[in-house]
Order: sequence, then structure tokens, then C-alpha cells
Amino acid sequence: MVTGGASERPAGEGEQVPASVAEAASAMRALSSERRPVVFFGGGTEPWPEPPPKGAAVLRTSRLDRIREHAPADQIVAVEAGLTLEKLQRYLAPHGQRLALDPPLPERATLGGILAAGSFGPRRTRYGSIRDLVIGITLLRADGALARGGGKVVKNVAGFDLPRLLYGSAGSLALVVEVVVRLHPLPEVSETVAVDGLTAEGALSLARAARDERLEPAAVAAILERGRARLLLRFEGFGPGVRGQVERFLLGPARNLPAERCIGGDEAALWALHDALRTKGDLRAKATFVPGRGPRALASLGPLLRALEGGAAVYYPTLGIAFVAGTLVDPLTAAEAVASARREVAPGRGAVVLSAAPPALYERTGILGPPPPEVELFRRLKSAFDPEGRIGPGRLWEGAKP
Amino acid sequence: MALLGQKTSDVNSLARLLGEVVGKDHVLTDPAELITYEADGLTHGRTRPALVVLPASTAEVSAVLEIASAAGVPVVPRGAGTGLSGGARPVEGGLVLALSRMRRILEVDLDDGWARVEPGVANLDLTRAVAGRGFYYAPDPSSQIICSIGGNVAENSGGAHCLKYGFTVNHVLAVRLVLAGGEVVDLGGPAPDAPGYDLVAAVVGSEGLLGVVTEATVRLLRRPEATKTFLAVFPSTDEAGNAVSAIIAAGIVPAAIEMMDRLAIAAARAATGVDWPDLGAVLLMDADGPAAEVDHVSERAMALARAAGAVEVRIPKDERERELMWKGRKSAFAAVGRLSPSYLVEDGVIPRSEIARVLREIGALARAAGLRVANVFHAGDGNLHPLVLYDAQVSGEEERAARLGGDILRLCLSLGGSITGEHGVGAEKVAFMAEQFGPDDLDTMQRVRCAFDPARLLNPGKVFPAPRLCGEVPGPYRPHPAEAAGVAERW
Repeated sequence: MVTGGASERPAGEGEQVPASVAEAASAMRALSSERRPVVFFGGGTEPWPEPPPKGAAVLRTSRLDRIREHAPADQIVAVEAGLTLEKLQRYLAPHGQRLALDPPLPERATLGGILAAGSFGPRRTRYGSIRDLVIGITLLRADGALARGGGKVVKNVAGFDLPRLLYGSAGSLALVVEVVVRLHPLPEVSETVAVDGLTAEGALSLARAARDERLEPAAVAAILERGRARLLLRFEGFGPGVRGQVERFLLGPARNLPAERCIGGDEAALWALHDALRTKGDLRAKATFVPGRGPRALASLGPLLRALEGGAAVYYPTLGIAFVAGTLVDPLTAAEAVASARREVAPGRGAVVLSAAPPALYERTGILGPPPPEVELFRRLKSAFDPEGRIGPGRLWEGAKP
Repeated sequence: MALLGQKTSDVNSLARLLGEVVGKDHVLTDPAELITYEADGLTHGRTRPALVVLPASTAEVSAVLEIASAAGVPVVPRGAGTGLSGGARPVEGGLVLALSRMRRILEVDLDDGWARVEPGVANLDLTRAVAGRGFYYAPDPSSQIICSIGGNVAENSGGAHCLKYGFTVNHVLAVRLVLAGGEVVDLGGPAPDAPGYDLVAAVVGSEGLLGVVTEATVRLLRRPEATKTFLAVFPSTDEAGNAVSAIIAAGIVPAAIEMMDRLAIAAARAATGVDWPDLGAVLLMDADGPAAEVDHVSERAMALARAAGAVEVRIPKDERERELMWKGRKSAFAAVGRLSPSYLVEDGVIPRSEIARVLREIGALARAAGLRVANVFHAGDGNLHPLVLYDAQVSGEEERAARLGGDILRLCLSLGGSITGEHGVGAEKVAFMAEQFGPDDLDTMQRVRCAFDPARLLNPGKVFPAPRLCGEVPGPYRPHPAEAAGVAERW
């Protein structure tokens, strides 16, 4: 089920797997003096779809996996960037805490990779993405200098916000070597309500009705298979709050709808299905749009879905994000479908990004779509951090004209 | 950088050019009119700009910046002037770009939960505009009646409720930014995760150094179904600090949890008529969310406060009483004026588990300095606001107060904290930046600035101590202090 294609195990020679931040820094300095390009790998769950350029070194963070500091009373943890999310969660659980992030493949996804790729899961509904939870980082620049931004207190506005600047930077500004994140208490109870037989419009209006009832689900996601949407709302927290919200949802917005209450293993199976759909096949496209345009965006993704074998979609109606995943069979049709979906979601800065795709598709469509007007600022930022363009070369429209 | 002021003719010719853009009534050069702009909420260290320009549109801001950059004149952007770190303090002989005329709410979309506003819109006015339909704008700095959204964006403002809801950066979806040379760029959008570098995050909290925000698209939230407030009174800040720790350890995420010590209580009593007992500390806590959740959480938190030693727990009997409680808290800074002719407002952050100990140490530092300190702060996130009371008429007292403020910030840093949680570095804390960050940290932040404003004409002298020039080759490699030590000891 898990795929990263060829890029998951890149063929570039000279793989480096530093065992400490100091080792990583000296490796970067050596690369700098050799003027050698370099690409970074965390767990390989969302690698940049293009293979590393010829001659590029590969630096893996897998051995940077220590927990540096955990202050349970302050609800923060500082970790090295190669630590996997699952290991972190397992460490935190006995303290009654968690990092409120749940991207698929937590057994492989690393904290640094999650930040650089902007990975997220359904709990983004309530807790935001890592952009909302990261409070400090140490980064390693192309020239081998280590720099810190943010810190280890939750509230801090001293200096420029380097932690968030690295969000979604796709390994092209600097290597993230340490991350400090804010933690949340583990909920006492969790319950998911699944409402079946919806359209995309129905899923959006039901999610909005829950909001208008002033319910606060931790996660809202719709699973789209074979033209039907099943909306999942997960409630978490203290027992009385969760029960009260579930009952209000069932008596209010979900009245007269085929709703099912799930806890324990049934609930876990539902969300495992969600994760499986997010990661299936060799093509995964992330569409972002103004939430109110969700149904139109989903309709515009239909042709792409149909161009895939076993195509399925996950739709986050309140966030304005959908993922389409499946196996690419017809690159030409898929490329046309991506182009037309990009036009449909464009208003309000929507996009269709290929987070995983075979070259036959991304060579036709580009990974990100057309560059935005501020690409000149991207170029200036990139060159301020990496004047020789050696880090993750060619990513995020490097070299593109506005 | 060209400074004006030596030659009146320079100022006049620039004023004439700018007047053609914004209208001559909106260019101020008369010293009497400039007085207002000599300082922001940090009133000492006043500096007179050569002129103040008040544009009314993005196009005007762009034209003003184009003219200023062509003349090489430094520009200090200014919102409502409520900032407490001197971030809007003018550069002598420079230009102040005041955004107070740009105060329209341009677009509201409640289905998708956002509004697009001009920077001069007052924080609370945005909430007022949508309150009737059950929505609000979450960041709530104490100055929210007058502070502007543009200023909030520049400072990444917080407020009492950011423990649960986050800071301005968590609520800004998009900005229209005018760069130093006048170029206009749109960053972000109401759709999430615009591909590319997160420049919205870079701009929020950049204290006016990266560009001038002329529009911001911000998130609007549904007002929670229920809010429950209680006030707990403690014999000392020790018990109050322990109560905060116990509440957090129980897995509760309060919407806000604020602490005031005895001196701050006295000030609030004098200024707002709250009848809080004259004891060591009060905690003011809000729980909000769905009613079933809030009932449970607030009962549990009150029980924990009692167990930690609260001598009294009060629940407001109606909305009016609740508002009065919050007024007691939000007016605390100003209220301290009743106790002392002058005072400094500090803003430091500590790990919240250290609250009780830090307050005792602040007390000891104050006694050693022969000064009084009132403490009002966001206990949930360890954001202290020690108010250092002094009398400027007493020789040497102002200097002692400033020294004490600095000692408190160093105390925060020694515990792994920060020199500012929400007021910004501004002009006031530039000297402390090198104590919180190492040379490579600061150099990396400078690189961001170089990408946006290589000539450094926007708000020079703020945030960063003596930066090197953009494009200047850095010196030989130096190990980071933490790297040299082989551990991450200092953040």
C-alpha cells in the first residue's frame, strides 16, 4: 500500500546518514566546500516527486531521532527532526499527552518531514497543522551554519518566524534538524459519527450545520468512493462533552440521515480506511480551494478520479482540501484533468499539487501548477538562504518566471 | 539611507511630491502635528520624524514607498500607535507612514469564515461588525478597542485567549503587501496552503521590516455556544501558580487563564471598582465551547483551584458582572497609573511551570532595586507582564527601573523563555536579541529581510542589533554555541 516510487529509495550516490546534529552540520559544510547539490529525506512519506538531480548527495535524517527535552507541565517537546511521529506519540502517551497531528503513515513520517512537506491529517480541523503547533526549530543552512528560530515557550514573538517559514518549504531552504512543538492532552474519550450516502454538497452543508450548532469536532473528513460520500465527524475530549455533542449532532443536523456511532475498534477502522485512501496508488493529488467552492472543486476532480484505477478521494469540507489517490493508467487524460481542476480551484489561491506522481504525469502538468506572482520573492528568499542553489534544486518553481 | 531635517528644502520638496499622491492635507510637517507621532505606546524615547504621510489606498501606499525609496528616506509604518515596544518609533529625519485612514472592512464571508480588511480597522470593530451573526475575530489584545488589525499583523499580537485560539499568525489567511520599493504582492488566500514558501508567516510578526500590509484576510470564528468564567482568590501567587499547573495537568485547555498579584489587584480595584479581596493573587479563567463540555471543564477547574488553596471562588451572576471581571483584568496596565506616576510594562515569557518561582524571584529583584513590581499576566502560557513602578522625578529611579526590567528579561531567558511574548522587540529590546539568539540565528533572520528589503529602508533600527549588509560575505564559520557544547542547551 505504501509507495514512494523510485524516489523513496533514491539512487544518488554518497548517501549520508548523520548520527547527530553536529555530524549533519559537518556533512553540510563538506558538501558546501565541494559545491555539491544535496536533497534531504525524512521518512519518505511525501518526498518531492522528482528524483534527485544527477550527482546530488542524499542526506537522510533517520538517525537524528532523539527526544531532546520533554516538559510535560509546559506541554512542549523538543525533538530531533528524524524522529517518527509514531515514536513520539508512544513516548508521550504515558504522560497523557500527544502531538495533535495525525498525517497518514506515522510509523514513517518524521517531524522534520512533516514540517517541510506540510503533512497533516483529519485533526487539522480542530488543532490546525504543524504550522499552528511548531514553536521552535533548528535549521542547518546550505553553508553548514546552524540557526535557531522561535524557542521552547508557546508564546514568543522575538525575531522573525523561522519555524513557520520552513512550513511547506519542501527541503529547498534549509535542513530542519530539530523541532519544538506544542502538545495537547490526550482526550478522555473519542467517538466518531459516520453519515453515509451523501454528495459532496451534502457533506459540506452537514459540516457547516455542525458548526452552526456550535459543535466542535476534532476532525471532519468525507471519504468518497464510487460516487458516494461518507462524512466522518470525530468528537474528542471529556466524556460529558463528547456524549453531549454526539447526541446534539444526531438530534440536530444529522436527524433523518443514516448516521452510525462508532467507538473503539470500529472507530479506528474508519480512520484507518481514511489513511489508506490518502496513501493508495502511485498518484496522490492535493487540491486546495476556498471551502465554499468545495463541491465544484470535487466535481472538477471527477475526471482525474476516473482516470485512475481504484481512484478514491478524501475531502475535508471545512478546511477546503481534498486528496485524490489511485493508480495512474492514462497519463494524457489525467494531465488534462489536472489542468482543468487547477482552473476550477484557482480563485482564492486554490491549487492542485501532485504530492506523489509518476514522471509521465508531472512532466506534463508540473508538480505545483503555474507559478504565482510572488515567485520573484520566492527566488530572492531562496537565494538569500542558498545562494548557490544547491539544496533541493529546482523545487518550488526555482528558476520560473512570474 | 538619507535623513531629512537638516535642510528644510529637502523636507518641503519631498512633502510636495507626497502631497501629489495623498493630497497635501495628508502630509504632516508642522512640528505641532508631528508630536502625536513621536512615540507609540512606549512613550519614553520620543523621536520626531521629518514628516508623516497618511495614504488612503494600496495605490497611495505604493506610490509613497516608491518616492521614499527613490529618495533613500527610511519609512516607519504605524497603525494605531498602541504598540508597547517602540516598534512605531520614528527615525529622526525619516518618514512615518500612518495607516489610520485605511479603515474599511472590504469583504466578509461568513460561510467560509473570513473577512478582508484594511490595516487601520480596529480589532474590536471587526468583531462588532460580525457579532450580530454569531461570529468574532479571536485575537484579543488588551488594547483591542483601539489597536488596529494592521498593527496586530505586524506584531503577531496575542491576547488573553490565545492559549486556546492562537496568535494573529494562526488567524491571518492572506495579506496584500507593499514592498519597500512600492511593488504590490498578494500572499496567501482564503484557500489553505498556497504552494510555495509561507511568506504570510514571514510577514506576520515582522514588525514592519518586510513590507507594509494594506489588506489582511483574517479568519472569523463562530462564537462558542457557552463561556463560563470564574475568579479564584489565593493567599499568594504560589498557590495560584500551582492551581494553573493542576488545571493544565488535568487535561483542561482553558480559553484564558489570567493571573494578577496583590499590587495589580489594588490597581484594578482603584480603577474599575471591582471588589476583589485584598489578597495575594487572583486567577481569572474562561472555559468556552459546547455547553456540555464547558460545564464539566469549569466545575473541574474550580475544584482544582480550591484544592490548590483558593480561599474564594466567584462565578459572575450575569454577563455584566463577567464583563466587569474582564475589565478589571484588561484595564490593569492603565490602572497601575493610579499607584505610581510612571511605570514600565515588561513582556517576558517563561515555561508556565516556573510561574510561582519566577514571581518570587521577581519580588526579590524588585526589593533589591528598591522598587515595586505589579504582575498581571497570561498564566496559561507563561507570558508575564511585570509592571515596574517608579517615579521619574526621583533622580536615578527611571534608570533603576529600566535595569530591573532588563534583569527580569534575563531571568526569563535563563529559564529558556523569551524576551517578548506579544509586544514585540521593537526599539526597546533590540539589545536583548543577542542574548536570546546567537549570531547565526540573527544572520538567518537577516537573510529573510534581505529578500524583502535589501536596502533596509523599512523600520530601520528595530528588532535587530547592527545587522551586516545584505550580500555581505559572512565571516569564517563559527560553531553554534549549542553545537560547540554538543547539546541543545539554549534555545
